[in-house]
Amino acid sequence: MSGASMVGDSSSWSTALVKISPYTFSAVGIAIAIGVSVLGAAWGIYITGSSLIGAAIKAPRITSKNLISVIFCEAVAIYGVIVAIILQTKLESVPTAQIYAPESLRAGYAIFASGIIVGFANLVCGLCVGIIGSSCALSDAQNSTLFVKILVIEIFGSALGLFGVIVGIIMSAQATWPAKSV
Amino acid sequence: MYGFEAMTFNIHGGYLEAIVRGHRAGLLTAADYNNLCQCETLDDIKMHLSATEYGPYLQNEPSPLHTTTIVEKCTLKLVDEYKHMLCQATEPLSTFLEYITYGHMIDNVVLIVTGTLHERDVQELLEKCHPLGMFDSIATLAVAQNMRELYRLVLVDTPLAPYFSECITSEDLDDMNIEIMRNTLYKAYLEDFYKFCQKLGGATAEIMSDLLAFEADRRAVNITINSIGTELTRDDRRKLYSNFGLLYPYGHEELAVCEDIDQVRAVMEKYPPYQSIFSKLSYGESQMLDKAFYEEEVKRLCLAFEQQFHYGVFFAYMRLREQEIRNLMWISECVAQNQKSRVHDSVVFIF
Amino acid sequence: MSGQSQRLNVVPTVTMLGVMKARLVGATRGHALLKKKSDALTVQFRQILKKIVSTKESMGDIMKTSSFALTEAKYVAGENIKHIVLENVQNASLKVRSRQENVAGVKLPKFEYFTEGETKNDLTGLARGGQQVQQCRAAYVKAIEVLVELASLQTSFLTLDEAIKTTNRRVNALENVVKPRLENTISYIKGELDELEREDFFRLKKIQGYKKREIERQLAAAKQQAEDQFAEKVSLQKGVSINSAHNLLSAAMEKDEDIIF
Repeated sequence: MSGASMVGDSSSWSTALVKISPYTFSAVGIAIAIGVSVLGAAWGIYITGSSLIGAAIKAPRITSKNLISVIFCEAVAIYGVIVAIILQTKLESVPTAQIYAPESLRAGYAIFASGIIVGFANLVCGLCVGIIGSSCALSDAQNSTLFVKILVIEIFGSALGLFGVIVGIIMSAQATWPAKSV
Repeated sequence: MYGFEAMTFNIHGGYLEAIVRGHRAGLLTAADYNNLCQCETLDDIKMHLSATEYGPYLQNEPSPLHTTTIVEKCTLKLVDEYKHMLCQATEPLSTFLEYITYGHMIDNVVLIVTGTLHERDVQELLEKCHPLGMFDSIATLAVAQNMRELYRLVLVDTPLAPYFSECITSEDLDDMNIEIMRNTLYKAYLEDFYKFCQKLGGATAEIMSDLLAFEADRRAVNITINSIGTELTRDDRRKLYSNFGLLYPYGHEELAVCEDIDQVRAVMEKYPPYQSIFSKLSYGESQMLDKAFYEEEVKRLCLAFEQQFHYGVFFAYMRLREQEIRNLMWISECVAQNQKSRVHDSVVFIF
Repeated sequence: MSGQSQRLNVVPTVTMLGVMKARLVGATRGHALLKKKSDALTVQFRQILKKIVSTKESMGDIMKTSSFALTEAKYVAGENIKHIVLENVQNASLKVRSRQENVAGVKLPKFEYFTEGETKNDLTGLARGGQQVQQCRAAYVKAIEVLVELASLQTSFLTLDEAIKTTNRRVNALENVVKPRLENTISYIKGELDELEREDFFRLKKIQGYKKREIERQLAAAKQQAEDQFAEKVSLQKGVSINSAHNLLSAAMEKDEDIIF
């Protein structure tokens, strides 16, 4: 309705934003969900991996244990994939007349927001787990009693991604497109 | 950004940092030093060292071992590790690593210059250079027939060129006292290194600033104490102090006019970090000062390892290795000269 | 052994005897002097020996301290301090001078060191270790002192040893070879002279004896002739045979003791 009342300012920003198709928002949201989480996961893995390789030269025993850090980072990417799949099931076709209906705009925004939430939460989660994983590898190489304690920190870190996934899924549950007019 | 380098540091530096930390784990511990101090002969020392990381370097030496051989082999190990790291490094880490060795390079260049002045044989001089400070064109320094050529060659070939051009003109190379030349070069090097670290920013800048500031202050104190009673004028002395550090600029003003050790002590006691060092010395004594400085340096270097994702660990590792080699030299000399009671005077435990 | 009772081959004359005696006196005096010289040298020798022992001990200590000072300097100022200092040097600033000392007639060399020229090395190790370097320098200067002293003591020791050996050799030679030889020569000469004298004496006596016999014979001959003549006279006077005349004469020759004229 807000768009209709401002029909006089056809060149204003609000018109422009409102006129973007909700499909765009949803698609972009899904892309961000998977893309940015994978970015986060990859970032985390390379941070951990480079330190792990270097430290394992002098202390080869750490390699098998410290792969857990890499697995935690990988989990972040899996969250992104799961949410992207869920989100894309939420995407429905809407008849042209209803495409700018508030319901469909809301659905579009919801999916977009969900995607952003999940994507960026996983980004920082992946980063966080990666940095901690690298410190874990280095300290494990020096003193093997430290491994378990730092792993606990990593677990807390990876919970961040989980929070993001939960909120994202809740958000996306609200993404109800307007029903096809009978 | 300070605090966010963790995100991008590992792209280029993660592997090498992990390697350096692995090397650090191989530094001798207090237990090792205790074992070494108990040794009766140099062969015992060799046996103990073969259980540490120095094993492969020492095991091929024939039995009448000499203390200089031990030191040589340990330095060789350090040089090997350094070269390995250097060839794996990218910018700016490779520049950083090279900066670490410029100090030795300065020593080598000055050695060759003085040797050439006194007409010594080039090959002998090259053998006496420190291996960390070698660079490819070092032999060309000896080709120069006189100081003008030396200046031109030095300007062009060596990485030390900017230091020469800033502080010395061609005439000075002839008359200047060698020590003053060496110290002026070192001052220029320290300042250059400091600026480079500041440019790098982040944790590297902070940690390296601290370490380099300590180095600059230590040099200032040493220059002051060692030039008391010599013909070095106050202005010359002030010219040799670096332009950064805790003591800059007011401490330098006061140090420049000091005439004996107690005055130096009075100046230093105004700065809390150095007050603890000087309080360990009794009045009028300065022999223990060097050891106290080494201890303080080792403490700060070990602290550099507490943080991750910065270049300071490389610098700290090289310095700690050098301190370890110094310790080993001290222990083997004491054992060889039968002065076991003095062993604990100068060994600085790293852990 | 073979030279013990040899003697010089000389003509056994009195002058030669005088010469030999003079030589013997000279030899005796020389022997006494040389013995005194040898004693003096031995006394010096013992003194030097004692000093050498104590100097060697102190040298051991001082070398130990100075090597340790070098280690301290190397520790603080870096391994290359040795090369840095060495390459900076044009010529030595501590030099050694030698001069001759006369001890009981023997020229002993004595070394002493002196500093020439200022060292420009005051600023070595300016940035670190300068103190240790200066201390090391002082320790080594002391070590040089002791070494130089030890060197002069040892050379004097060796020279004195040589000198004592030569002197003793001479003393022994004088005592065991020259003097006995001279004495033997002298006794030989004396013996020869005595013999000559005896020969002369004997000859003299013999000649005297001959002369005496000659004279007696002549006297007897003359007497006989006188007797013969008288007897002839008597025989002619008395017309007696010569024999009886001889008998008469001989009876007449016998003085009658009872006649007192």
